[in-house]
Amino acid sequence: MSWNCATRTVRRERGNVKRSITIRLVLMFALAALVTFSLIGAALYGVLVRELIRHQNDDLNLNLQNLRYSIEHVGIAERWTRVQAKMDTLTPSDGRLRFWVLSDDPRFQYGKGLDRIEGMSQEADGHGTILLPPNGQMLRTLSLRIEPYEDRPAVRLIVGVDVAPLEHTLHAFLTALVLLLLSAVLVVMLLGYWIAHLGLQPLKQLSKEAQGLRPQTLSQRLHTENLPVELSDLAVAFNGALGRLQAAYQQLEAFNADVAHELRTPLANLIGGTQVALSRQRTAPQFQEVLQSNLEELDRLRSIINDMLFLARADQGEAATGLTEACVAREVNKTIEFFEFVLDDKGITVAVQGELSAQAAINIPLFRRALSNLLQNAIEHSAAGACLVVEIRNQAEAVWIRVSNPGVRIAATHLPRLFDRFYRVDASRHDEGLHHGHGLGLAIVKAVASMHGGSVAAISVDGVTTIAFSVPSLEAAFEAVAHST
Amino acid sequence: MKLLIVEDELKTAEYLHKGLSEQGCAVDVANNGIDGQHLALEYDYDVIVLDAMLPGLDGFALLRALRGVKQTPVIMLTARDRIEDRVRGLHEGADDYLVKPFSFLELLARLQALQRRGRSQEPSQLKLANLRIDLLARKVWRGTTRIDLTAKEFSLLGVLARRQGEILSKTAIAELVWDMNFDSNTNIVEVAIKRLRTKIDTPYTPKLLHTIRGMGYVMELRDEDSPT
Repeated sequence: MSWNCATRTVRRERGNVKRSITIRLVLMFALAALVTFSLIGAALYGVLVRELIRHQNDDLNLNLQNLRYSIEHVGIAERWTRVQAKMDTLTPSDGRLRFWVLSDDPRFQYGKGLDRIEGMSQEADGHGTILLPPNGQMLRTLSLRIEPYEDRPAVRLIVGVDVAPLEHTLHAFLTALVLLLLSAVLVVMLLGYWIAHLGLQPLKQLSKEAQGLRPQTLSQRLHTENLPVELSDLAVAFNGALGRLQAAYQQLEAFNADVAHELRTPLANLIGGTQVALSRQRTAPQFQEVLQSNLEELDRLRSIINDMLFLARADQGEAATGLTEACVAREVNKTIEFFEFVLDDKGITVAVQGELSAQAAINIPLFRRALSNLLQNAIEHSAAGACLVVEIRNQAEAVWIRVSNPGVRIAATHLPRLFDRFYRVDASRHDEGLHHGHGLGLAIVKAVASMHGGSVAAISVDGVTTIAFSVPSLEAAFEAVAHST
Repeated sequence: MKLLIVEDELKTAEYLHKGLSEQGCAVDVANNGIDGQHLALEYDYDVIVLDAMLPGLDGFALLRALRGVKQTPVIMLTARDRIEDRVRGLHEGADDYLVKPFSFLELLARLQALQRRGRSQEPSQLKLANLRIDLLARKVWRGTTRIDLTAKEFSLLGVLARRQGEILSKTAIAELVWDMNFDSNTNIVEVAIKRLRTKIDTPYTPKLLHTIRGMGYVMELRDEDSPT
């Protein structure tokens, strides 16, 4: 168990390393510093090596030229001792600088371990290296042939300089360089951590603020004023999401209250009516009366529940199925026919206008349901003798069906909310006799439109109220099918 | 009509049993899928009313087992109003489906429709007391008086007269006369019935078109209305 916990902690920490922006930034800073300093270090090292070698070569050359001058005009063995003495003086006691003179004549020779010289590497310009026993001392050499003079045959003068000091310098430099580089990277990491920490401060602030959001304080928003540009976009988008969430949440709460209210009325009637009926001795016809009244209330409940289920399915994104190509005007006329008697009774006429040949891919029962809700709504809000207009318009890949009726102007604030469930323009108005729906009629129109991929609109101008919904035109529907396959 | 009801909700099973028995059906009830399957396979029923959600063996499995043996008509009852459920039921071989909460009248209408299925041609003339309807010529008489009806009034009368003694809900009437397949929440049917009644029933005796409050309308000859 404890082992499990331990591994889980380790894994989480590793996950944090991967996810922490600060740590990632610090590591990236370190990497950048390492690469930069390494390149600089390598370049410096290269320059140093070249300079040191040049310096040594100059040294060699100087000594060589100096001795060459001394040797060139020495032609007899007696004077050679002076040359030997000069070379002895020039040779330092630590053996850093060495001289050799190779000659066929033993009298004109100089230097220890002359036999070793044969192993000397030799380049075209006279430069070379030699390894000397007993401790493998490495010398850089420069050799020069000096032409014969008087008694003296041609000799080869070799100057050697120890490379150990140079190597030592380079080694020290390299060590210092690596140490400096590592400390610089470390400093950059520390600075980077500080910078990242400072740079991410607004993010931390934002996250702290976001953590402070509670369901109870839905109106709370993130402060975007002091945020850097990069974060303010995020915060604005987040606030937008919060706004939509708040609207949906409030709508849901209001909706729940409305549902409870709508269901409460028939339930109260049922309970009250039944209790009254049972509290006295009643005759069969009286009970029959109660049962009939109950049935009416129950039917109302069933109807509300069915409509709510329908709306819930539309909300969950259920699309209309069983789409058929239909002439919109024909369906409009069939639905108007359904209202024939009611229209006749109220003396209301309906004119169908617009593009009567428009075709759409629709689920016919759903379409009729939506249109009958619109007509019902228009009839309810029209006086006797009024003239309703159903206009069919084909525009921008959609067929719009607009139902207009003369009626009192509806304030602009109410218009978009007409499609909300249980929404009433005048909250106090509730004429039961006139209204046969239960406030879900236009919500169902909207649901039907959205199930077809269409939308709804409401306009109120010059004493005419127009409520419209759209379904995709035949071409648009075909295109959608072509895209999906 | 011999019916089998397979339904685990006892109250539902009880009222279905009572209501259908009173309609003159012989009704058997099973409260779980296993008993239901046994009865459905053992006996021959005219129609089986089958709940989709059952303990022991669910309705779909029962239907599958049944369809392997015989073609008894089946009406499925589903609580979930989901398209998949409906499609699944019909796909497995159900003849019809009803979504709970359904009205008893609707169930009755569906049962009668299933029973009517495959019957011989409809008569061209209908008679009820002194009401005579010529369905082909689209003419109506009450006694010797010829009554003029509009096309829709005639359709409405035809729908009611063809189903004499059967209570038709407003939704059923809207569907049969206007082909509107939804709960319309309107008073359209009431207005239409009122008109029809004024033309064919109010001025005459006996009264044939009756309102059953909370349920719908029925066309039948009732004893209390018969001339004395």
